[in-house]
Amino acid sequence: MEAPAIATEGLTRRFGELVAVQDVNLRVASGQFFGFLGPNGAGKSTTIKMLTGLLAPTSGTMQILGLDFEKQMVEVKRQIGVVPEGMALFGRLTGAEYLNFVGRMYGLDRETAAKRTGELLDFMQLADQPKKLVTDYSHGMQKKLALAAAVIHGPKILFLDEPFEGVDAIAAGTLKAMLQRMIARGATIFLTSHVLEIVERLCSHVAIIHRGQLVAQGSLEELRAGVEAQAASGLVPAELPAAQKLTLEEIFLRTVGGSRTAEQELSWLG
Amino acid sequence: MAGLNGKPQARMQLAAIARVRGQLFVHSLRTTKGVLELFSRIVISLVITAGGLGGAVGMGAAAWFFVSEGKTEWLALMLWPLFLFWQFFPVMASAFTETLDTSNLLRFPLDYRSYVAVRLVYGALDPSTVLGGLWLTGITVGISVANLRLLPWAALVLLVFGVLNVLLAQMIFAWVERWLAQRRTREIFAVLFFLAMIGFQLVGPVMNRYGRRSSPALRKFSAEASPVQRVLPPGIAANAIARVANGRPGQGFVSLGLLGVYGVVILRALSVRLRAQYRGENLSEVRRDASGRDRKQGVRLGWELPGLSGPVTAVLEKEFRYLSRSGPVLLTLITPIFMLLIFGLGQGRDLGFLQRSPDLGFPAGVCYALLLLTNLIYNNFGADGGGIQFFLASPVHFRKVVLGKNLAHMAVLALEICVVWIGASLLFRPPSRAIAIATVAGVLFAAPVNLAVGNWLSLYSPKRIEFGTFGRQRASQLTVLISFGVQIIVFGLGAATMGLARYYRETWLATGVFLVLAVVGFTGYSMVLKRVDRMALARRERLTTELCR
Repeated sequence: MEAPAIATEGLTRRFGELVAVQDVNLRVASGQFFGFLGPNGAGKSTTIKMLTGLLAPTSGTMQILGLDFEKQMVEVKRQIGVVPEGMALFGRLTGAEYLNFVGRMYGLDRETAAKRTGELLDFMQLADQPKKLVTDYSHGMQKKLALAAAVIHGPKILFLDEPFEGVDAIAAGTLKAMLQRMIARGATIFLTSHVLEIVERLCSHVAIIHRGQLVAQGSLEELRAGVEAQAASGLVPAELPAAQKLTLEEIFLRTVGGSRTAEQELSWLG
Repeated sequence: MAGLNGKPQARMQLAAIARVRGQLFVHSLRTTKGVLELFSRIVISLVITAGGLGGAVGMGAAAWFFVSEGKTEWLALMLWPLFLFWQFFPVMASAFTETLDTSNLLRFPLDYRSYVAVRLVYGALDPSTVLGGLWLTGITVGISVANLRLLPWAALVLLVFGVLNVLLAQMIFAWVERWLAQRRTREIFAVLFFLAMIGFQLVGPVMNRYGRRSSPALRKFSAEASPVQRVLPPGIAANAIARVANGRPGQGFVSLGLLGVYGVVILRALSVRLRAQYRGENLSEVRRDASGRDRKQGVRLGWELPGLSGPVTAVLEKEFRYLSRSGPVLLTLITPIFMLLIFGLGQGRDLGFLQRSPDLGFPAGVCYALLLLTNLIYNNFGADGGGIQFFLASPVHFRKVVLGKNLAHMAVLALEICVVWIGASLLFRPPSRAIAIATVAGVLFAAPVNLAVGNWLSLYSPKRIEFGTFGRQRASQLTVLISFGVQIIVFGLGAATMGLARYYRETWLATGVFLVLAVVGFTGYSMVLKRVDRMALARRERLTTELCR
């Protein structure tokens, strides 16, 4: 049986008294487009940082492609690509220099790194201004460059923290096309986003984290069925739309209890 | 809407901001960077306090002497250095200056006057103002002890002088920040700043060369400079006090009025910037000509260096690209030559230090080159900012990243040594083979020691370098303190070794001692390098938090 792309057991991270991520058991199969959702401060970025080696877990284990993260960290990092929260760019390089640099750091030879750099810049429509420094790029251009850097070595797993944040519709279209091509080639994508419509359209499987704990995990159909079953048993509000599939947003809100009651409204807003 | 009763009161807003400022100060004392950082803060605070109180006593005594001797106009001799310190300290010692980013206040419904008040009052709470205020108080006390009747007038003049200093510092700050906001103007400003600093370094030796009382050049300079200094704020303030002390109150009032005019002009210049900020100007990094598309070019191959792995070469190449895009760093390459020139100035019996000992020109220049490099070495990742996340997420051992950076810095040092050798040979004479070898042996000791401590501090106490801001810290206080200590030890040992060799008239002795010390230095360096991976893993949270701000 093939090892899951990502598997965590009891993954926990504390910041002093605060438990940011508690006992998370994730399972992401190879080739899945996996959406990792949660309200603000739920622990999404903390989890992704731990899965990419940017943050040490307080306890628990992580396996990436069957490799133990702590023991085979360098080998794991070779297999993954990351677009972290801060994009991890070097502002005083040009786009081409940055991609070339990243390619060399991932072990590509000079010729391959240069060839892929050229292709990626063309694909991302960043090739027009070769002398422009990354610091002079717009936010959307930086996102595209960060994604290009994350895929230059052909990773088996791609971790993306809010890749569509601040990106215009045209750039978002380019990014989505690229991600779908990667999935078609057998890669696994682990993505966090607040734009639930995008997650619903792209992802086959979803996990929801709330207050540091994993509260749902599975395919969209499984999550939908779970919410409907809970509604039937009275565990979540029962007013489900008749003869209509629940959207991911509805599933999400019902799972994390996001709908407000009248008592929670702000009195002074009237 | 209930509770929103018309315009918010300015007093309430200022009180709220004052409270936030106080809370920020209290929270800043709760450092999360460890005991060493706290210790360095305490030491630096003690040094500043001692400097403030000691300076106040010294200046007070000098003021008492001048007024008692009837040379009140000589107060300018104290007001000038005080004035220059007040304006330049925030630039020179940005590590000790925490500034408030008042642009954050723009989202609130503050009126323009409140905004200006906040900028002036809370922006002025820095060490230079505290020290300047203490020293002015000392001078006021000194004047009144010598002549009590002068107290109210001296206090008024010096108060106006102090306010003028605060305004001028704020004005410079606001304008410089405007120029630093864009890369091109930032580079130009850095070059000008560098030249100004070099110019200041030349003042001492030039005075030494031409500064004999009998020298006609000095008399000419004094005759020309005296009227100039009298129409500038420190000279005017001194004159205002002197004229009243000499029984010419009318002229004193005119001088005070002139000081006031300066204040108004400075306030006006400051107001231009503050108004632009208040209107929400956007000083983005984007080049103005960005719309014009560059010609599409092919992607160049990365560097390849024999004996170095791909990742190490990539880091080395990246470092050189960063350095080549930093005008000030390039200028530092020629700074040691300027220093040789400065130390070489002198004539007649007062020959410059390096003219008397021309053989020391090469080692002196190399020492200076090494000192300049500490800026890069002790905060290795400061310029990388968010790029640190890439280093941590990449499949490369962190020691290779650090090694690449160290090699880049050592290549710069090697280049500097060549430049210094050429400069020293042209300015004085080529160093003897024994001196040259001893110097290189000294570098073999000093460089690994600095690299070892620099690597450790870069991971232990990183500080993001903000290219677009002025007066923000470029290194942590801990880094400043420790690097200072390391230089004292390294250069102390170097000087002692060279002194010993000169005493026994055996330069090769210095080479031998330096080589032994170099073995110790390299051992320490390799020990730190071996631990870098573990240190980086242990400190990754601190690194990303600090550098990705």
